[in-house]
Amino acid sequence: MKRILLSSLILILSVSSIFAGGAQDEAPMQSDDVTTIRIVGKDFSPSDEVNLQHLRNIEAGFEKATGEKIKLELVSVPEGAYGEKLNLMIMAGDIPDLIYFQGGDEVIANQGLLVDLTDYVKNSAVMQDVLMDFNKERLANYPYLLWIAPPRARTAVIREDWFNEAGGKMPVTVDDYYALFSTIKKNHPEAAVVTDTGNTGRMDFTFNQAFGITATWVKENGKYVYSKVSQAEKDKLAFYQKLYAEGILDNEYITTKWDTMEDKLYTGKVAGAFGTAGIVLDIYSDKMNENQGVGLVVLPPADGVGRGYSVSSAKETRGWAISTTSEHSDLVFELLEFLATDEGQFMERYGIEGIHYNMEGDKVVLTDKKGDWWPRFHEVMSWDAPTPLLGPAGMKGWEYILDYAVSDPDFPIPEELSPTWDALGNLYKEYSFKIISGEYSIDKFDDFVAEWYKLGGDKVTEYANSVLN
Amino acid sequence: MNSGLLRKKIKRDRALYLMLLPVLIYYIVWHYIPMWGARIAFQDFKYIGTNEWVGFKHFKMLFSSPVFLRVFLNTITISAMKIGFFFPLPIILAFLFNEIRSSGYRKIIQSVIYLPHFLSWVVIAGIFISLLSSPLGVVNQIITFFGGEPVSFMTSTRHIRWIFVVSETWRSIGWDSILYIAAINGIAPELYDAATVDGANRLQQARHITLPSILPTIITVFILNMGFFMNAGFDQVFNMMNDAVINKVDIIDTYVYRVGLTKGNFSLGTAAGLFKGVIGIFLILGTDRLSRKTSGEGVW
Repeated sequence: MKRILLSSLILILSVSSIFAGGAQDEAPMQSDDVTTIRIVGKDFSPSDEVNLQHLRNIEAGFEKATGEKIKLELVSVPEGAYGEKLNLMIMAGDIPDLIYFQGGDEVIANQGLLVDLTDYVKNSAVMQDVLMDFNKERLANYPYLLWIAPPRARTAVIREDWFNEAGGKMPVTVDDYYALFSTIKKNHPEAAVVTDTGNTGRMDFTFNQAFGITATWVKENGKYVYSKVSQAEKDKLAFYQKLYAEGILDNEYITTKWDTMEDKLYTGKVAGAFGTAGIVLDIYSDKMNENQGVGLVVLPPADGVGRGYSVSSAKETRGWAISTTSEHSDLVFELLEFLATDEGQFMERYGIEGIHYNMEGDKVVLTDKKGDWWPRFHEVMSWDAPTPLLGPAGMKGWEYILDYAVSDPDFPIPEELSPTWDALGNLYKEYSFKIISGEYSIDKFDDFVAEWYKLGGDKVTEYANSVLN
Repeated sequence: MNSGLLRKKIKRDRALYLMLLPVLIYYIVWHYIPMWGARIAFQDFKYIGTNEWVGFKHFKMLFSSPVFLRVFLNTITISAMKIGFFFPLPIILAFLFNEIRSSGYRKIIQSVIYLPHFLSWVVIAGIFISLLSSPLGVVNQIITFFGGEPVSFMTSTRHIRWIFVVSETWRSIGWDSILYIAAINGIAPELYDAATVDGANRLQQARHITLPSILPTIITVFILNMGFFMNAGFDQVFNMMNDAVINKVDIIDTYVYRVGLTKGNFSLGTAAGLFKGVIGIFLILGTDRLSRKTSGEGVW
């Protein structure tokens, strides 16, 4: 019996070791003059030929610009939620040189696995030139993630024909917005005027500042108070409640996802929505033209107590990090630097020649495949593209961002307060929907505030005041 | 049994044991070896270097969360509702299948009700959100057609847990009935013939032959289900929850996913998993014992 058991065990261990060995990636090859840089990114798969072609172009461009030979190697991440799979990959000890994070990076940074980029950025003329103020503030708070892209503010868009039918006057104040929305609703009672995706987060970009929510933490009576328990929030929720009751705000916004939001827009179920400024607005506009035969008007943030799109300075919520286990961290940063230069941006923004664009003399002519391309690393906002990359809607969104982006001096919530912060967030979610939907009167907001502090908000507020003062 | 006899038996049935080997390897590699990793529930997990032993720190963190009691109660309530209302339905369905005489018709019906099992919860959530939306969803159209007021089911704290039960039933009733159908098919036809001769009608046959014959299967499935009691259905809840009902449906798994896994806090996630596992084992053992006392049947 013992022999049988022993034989079985040996067989099992042998089989499992074969499988375990088979699952591992090959170690990066390195010749004397070529350095291999391993990269992992979201939707950046080595099985996509376009990605590989892009990397070959970058390698050639990098060598031309710096004289250094590199080999870029993409690491594949198993299918599924990227953040989750990335964490598991790192947990298993596979740590590439350059890693894209979209959350889940703090624990890894706290364990000293990510390179502090402060000195690199400080000594880089390119980075000093391309980074926007909010990027620099975020790097000062959390120097591990580099993300060069316009702030992800959501801009209001409304279908052009209904906008013109309602007078065609660009709204400025909250009252102007209400007048515009009411007229559209009156003209098209079958449709809602705006919708959102599961909460009012997108719509807040347009209205927060106007109601006085000028930052995540606002000052009330000389003390920092979380904006969601402030008087300004109460005023805003009362306004949203009115929009919901009158059918201006889509009554199904709470169960609406980003794809159904777009569908509602393209099928005339809503007059407008909120989209990320830039290329996303162009996509909305093109699809509106395809489906409804009209374009979109991009609306500015409402004016009131303040005006603008709050851009948190807490930390980058996504971005590129260099691992401390990398033997070539200087070179990896040089690569990030190169990708932010004019040469790097040309490749990053136009894609692959012959697929996404063609050269006609010195002129870049975009092909109909251009819509399939997106920058894999950086999207430098100040880069002067020889052939415009954005359409009118996208450009207008960017203009508003440049004009109205307002820094929000926020900070990351420490790990020990994380469960409390999660609980407080859920409490807000429940109350805010019940108030907006009319299930609770606006007076219930005061109960929410009391409950919020009782549930642990007092501790977080104390911490906030210690950080911000 | 002496070792000589055992060896003889193994030699005789070696083909069967060989067939069993891949399953054995699967369980050892994917279910037993990973159990060693559960020790990180008691450690501060480090991506590089040695994990630091911290005792019950992560359990304390889990239990001291202001929402832990709520997510724990939500988990128990949703699970109890699912087991209480859903568990008998596949058994009833299997009984009904047994009464269908036309085998062609039975096969068609069986195939149709198995199909939802192969749909992911993302798709099912989309279907239910669309069906139940207010005021344009089919269900609300029917309600308003009969003069009622539309109901926002998906955002209603009164309805959302029942929607979980109904959608779980729709997805799994057919699939879960397979085991019972197989058990019913294994009943000797002579028993029914004898009962018919004795004048028993279909209902009496079902009550006095079918039900007692499949009772051990029912009890085994029930006891094993109790082991998964703390898994209230992450995929289902995650895809169907929204801000309006979050405090009614946030379960241990969704909480740990948000606070633990998405933030790379694997120790917290493992502590929660271990906690659920321990409760599951107690529930299995407790139910088994209770079952033995009351019906004489158990899993082992």
